[in-house]
Amino acid sequence: MEMMWSLRHVNIDHLHVGWYQSTYYGSFVTRALLDSQFSYQHAIEESVVLIYDPIKTAQGSLSLKAYRLTPKLMEVCKEKDFSPEALKKANITFEYMFEEVPIVIKNSHLINVLMWELEKKSAVADKHELLSLASSNHLGKNLQLLMDRVDEMSQDIVKYNTYMRNTSKQQQQKHQYQQRRQQENMQRQSRGEPPLPEEDLSKLFKPPQPPARMDLLLIAGQINTYCQNIKEFTAQNLGKLFMAQALQEYNN
Amino acid sequence: MSRFFTTGSDSESESSLSGEELVTKPVGGNYGKQPLLLSEDEEDTKRVVRSAKDKRFEELTNLIRTIRNAMKIRDVTKCLEEFELLGKAYGKAKSIVDKEGVPRFYIRILADLEDYLNELWEDKEGKKKMNKNNAKALSTLRQKIRKYNRDFESHITSYKQNPEQSADEDAEKNEEDSEGSSDEDEDEDGVSAATFLKKKSEAPSGESRKFLKKMDDEDEDSEDSEDDEDWDTGSTSSDSDSEEEEGKQTALASRFLKKAPTTDEDKKAAEKKREDKAKKKHDRKSKRLDEEEEDNEGGEWERVRGGVPLVKEKPKMFAKGTEITHAVVIKKLNEILQARGKKGTDRAAQIELLQLLVQIAAENNLGEGVIVKIKFNIIASLYDYNPNLATYMKPEMWGKCLDCINELMDILFANPNIFVGENILEESENLHNADQPLRVRGCILTLVERMDEEFTKIMQNTDPHSQEYVEHLKDEAQVCAIIERVQRYLEEKGTTEEVCRIYLLRILHTYYKFDYKAHQRQLTPPEGSSKSEQDQAENEGEDSAVLMERLCKYIYAKDRTDRIRTCAILCHIYHHALHSRWYQARDLMLMSHLQDNIQHADPPILYNRTMVQLGICAFRQGLTKDAHNALLDIQSSGRAKELLGQGLLLRSLQERNQEQEKVERRRQVPFHLHINLELLECVYLVSAMLLEIPYMAAHESDARRRMISKQFHHQLRVGERQPLLGPPESMREHVVAASKAMKMGDWKTCHSFIINEKMNGKVWDLFPEADKVRTMLVRKIQEESLRTYLFTYSSVYDSISMETLSDMFELDLPTVHSIISKMIINEELMASLDQPTQTVVMHRTEPTAQQNLALQLAEKLGSLVENNERVFDHKQGTYGGYFRGECFRLLSSPGFWYLHSLSPGTPSTSFPSLSCRPEGRLPQKRGLHAPRWLPPAAISNGLLSSPLCLTPRLSNLEVLSHTPGIKSLFK
Repeated sequence: MEMMWSLRHVNIDHLHVGWYQSTYYGSFVTRALLDSQFSYQHAIEESVVLIYDPIKTAQGSLSLKAYRLTPKLMEVCKEKDFSPEALKKANITFEYMFEEVPIVIKNSHLINVLMWELEKKSAVADKHELLSLASSNHLGKNLQLLMDRVDEMSQDIVKYNTYMRNTSKQQQQKHQYQQRRQQENMQRQSRGEPPLPEEDLSKLFKPPQPPARMDLLLIAGQINTYCQNIKEFTAQNLGKLFMAQALQEYNN
Repeated sequence: MSRFFTTGSDSESESSLSGEELVTKPVGGNYGKQPLLLSEDEEDTKRVVRSAKDKRFEELTNLIRTIRNAMKIRDVTKCLEEFELLGKAYGKAKSIVDKEGVPRFYIRILADLEDYLNELWEDKEGKKKMNKNNAKALSTLRQKIRKYNRDFESHITSYKQNPEQSADEDAEKNEEDSEGSSDEDEDEDGVSAATFLKKKSEAPSGESRKFLKKMDDEDEDSEDSEDDEDWDTGSTSSDSDSEEEEGKQTALASRFLKKAPTTDEDKKAAEKKREDKAKKKHDRKSKRLDEEEEDNEGGEWERVRGGVPLVKEKPKMFAKGTEITHAVVIKKLNEILQARGKKGTDRAAQIELLQLLVQIAAENNLGEGVIVKIKFNIIASLYDYNPNLATYMKPEMWGKCLDCINELMDILFANPNIFVGENILEESENLHNADQPLRVRGCILTLVERMDEEFTKIMQNTDPHSQEYVEHLKDEAQVCAIIERVQRYLEEKGTTEEVCRIYLLRILHTYYKFDYKAHQRQLTPPEGSSKSEQDQAENEGEDSAVLMERLCKYIYAKDRTDRIRTCAILCHIYHHALHSRWYQARDLMLMSHLQDNIQHADPPILYNRTMVQLGICAFRQGLTKDAHNALLDIQSSGRAKELLGQGLLLRSLQERNQEQEKVERRRQVPFHLHINLELLECVYLVSAMLLEIPYMAAHESDARRRMISKQFHHQLRVGERQPLLGPPESMREHVVAASKAMKMGDWKTCHSFIINEKMNGKVWDLFPEADKVRTMLVRKIQEESLRTYLFTYSSVYDSISMETLSDMFELDLPTVHSIISKMIINEELMASLDQPTQTVVMHRTEPTAQQNLALQLAEKLGSLVENNERVFDHKQGTYGGYFRGECFRLLSSPGFWYLHSLSPGTPSTSFPSLSCRPEGRLPQKRGLHAPRWLPPAAISNGLLSSPLCLTPRLSNLEVLSHTPGIKSLFK
């Protein structure tokens, strides 16, 4: 904010296009992120969120990604209605919550020159992280996180399940009640009495509070990210392993 | 009111003169039937007589009065009801009636009622006016009374033929009334008013007779009779108390006076309204009278208290008068006894009376029988001294009681020809006939049991930390001595049942005491110092263990009631456990099958105590597992204090009401029987630690690890939550700190936490064999630490020398060897022993962290999918078993699934090797190469092209789960 003020002070034209968040192991799909990104995107259409993963970067590959909320999700968020029906209607799944924006990093020529120079100077050993075969730690962490999410997911599903059961039970009751009322009315009619007044059914049967499905979506999205992470990671590792194998054979 | 109190004691001598008249008073038709009593305490006896007879008659007269009222207002329904009640009451009074003859007033009401009904019946018009209910009731009542009266036909006819008697009475009454009113005393006025009142309400003849009587008395000795009258009326609840309420009452009564004579039955209907009003007033008045009555009773009570001189006079009365015979003394005794339990009797005075009586009996050589009988009664009344069950005896009372029982026992031992038993009937008692054996009713056993109860109560109610408690505790020896004496006595004379009961008492007083002498004897070798030991043995009688054994065996064999046997077994177990005879105790517990049905059994607290003691005993023997099991139940509830009866929890105080609390208070165990709760908890926690820590180390990575002891985990968690860990203070902190040390395999630290000055003072010194326990504990800690160490660090070692281990844990080599062998056999430790070099060679067979995680994840995903399926089911109705049938049956074991998703294209031959291993325990021999069961083709196939994706989530699994396997390729 201060930066913006300063910019304005020196009368530089600027556009605020988003924010960034650093995260470990790709665990960024959270409610907080969704909310703040929504508010950004709501205010400024073009806003993005940059996700930076320092650990992954330390392992040798720059991890920087830009995300935006999909228009569909924006609509849903606008209405603030996360009931199962609304989400169904919006036809939204975890895969279509965020859209990734490709990133092109452009450095000024001076910096490019600096980089070149640095690269020449640095020893070979510094770059070896990329080839490190010890991956278990990272993988373990990822798995742990994934497991937590899965637990959460399962809890959520159980919750949803009970909700479904309750709803259907109530539906049944409602139905029964209606039938009984109808029968009674028929009887009364045959006896020539006036039919019973219709009562407000919704008062008699309050539908159970539907659980918010947004969390579930987020969890699913998170799990998806983890899975992709792991997949990517293992694919790389496998490549490394095969390389190592080939190397060993060659040496022998 | 105060007038009566004063006159009460003033007119003492006079009342003795008029006593004879007084006795004759109560109810018409049976004068002179009461036994004439010599002594002065007519009041007592009279009250007694009244309670037997007058209570019944009073009931009757009350009912009759209501009937008459109902008759007057023509409420036939009410009449019917009351009549039925009357019939019942008469039935109750039958026994008395048999003795005394049918009371006149009863006949009268029957006759009157019948007449009245007939009258009503004839009165057609009136009948028409009656409402339905009344008419119906009328006919029923008429029939009933006809039937009923048939039984009393002769009486009724005689009554009808001879109504003068009642007329007489009426006349007399009138006379009396006029007399009363003419006398015109203020008091008299009150009386007459009352009589009028009664007349108005058609008081039964009995009462009017009483009045008559009273008037007579008045003539003779107005002051005195007035006084006496009060005594009478006080308890008979007749209305004549109205004297009390002079001013108001007279006014009120005088109003009645005006009305009453005119109230004739026929005119009633017309006057109904006013009548009602009058009735209301009457009611109010009677209510007030009731109050009065109570006051009067209080007064009576006061008087007896005030009448201590009367008590003092007592022996004189005896001495002065007749020669003292058995009959007299017993009669006297009965007199006193009958007052027992009455509201107004002064219990202290009663006890004193009884004691005087004993003296008299002794002085006059009336024989032991009488004395025994009186003694019995003294003790009983001592027990009765406190009306409230919850309160306990005063010390002096208690001392007296003990003395009494002792004396009684002396007599009984001295005179073997006295038979005592509760089943000896009052009639068949033989108190003085010296030729036959003396028979006395009374149960010594009950007395002793009661004494024991009282003792417990005293102990419960004394502050356990006071000197007083110690003083009381000294009485315990005396109690025990008495019990022993009674036991000896009953062994000679009692039935088996009684012997069982007294044995149980004895056991209850023995089982919790640690037999130090026997213990000492056990410790000292038998061959040395044989002589002194013999002396010792002679001195102390039998060893408590032997004693317990003998008593309990007798009970097991002879007892028929389940309760006594259960108690005896529990005590026996407790005693065994206390003396570290673990196997005997355990066998007894198991053989008795107590654990199965203890829920229904009587003494839950005793059972809990026994279990706890058993657990502690097991711990002393170094059987941590047994100790833990025994203590688990009691500790896991967190209410050990309550369950052992050693105090009430504050928390639940609000939940229960007063009554429950009292009951619970009564169940509390006296302090000297308490089991130290801290000791208990410490024993539990330490044994839990010894079990849990190695277990935790062994199953560190197991997701579904169950807890052995929740309580222990709770303590650990509490310890972890502490923001700042200072040196441990409390026992729990010590244990937690020790557990932490043990987790790291650091037995020395663990040892220093468990056994140090603080813990010694708090816990370990409480054991009788503290040193033995401590050495046991150290050894246990060493062993378990070794196990923990091996579990925790086995992955770090390729091989480890046993010598090093034995050095580290200061255990000798064979022990280390045996522990490790045991672990290997139990498949807890994947290793083998290399004998020549004395080393343990580790096999790396435990799954790595990743594998474990993958397995866990697989499991979780399984449940997730299942849940998801359920949601799906819901949407589709019952349809949707498709997946489960096809694919998820394979997933029933996570290990299986793991493989399945790994090797989609592999031939099925590769399955069995894993499918039979739950939890994915990998094949033992896994060399440097990829596992045999996973051909390289499968790897590439499964990994790179992942064709088996059920969901994107699952597809990732196969990749990660065998990276370690492949990694090993490159090692």
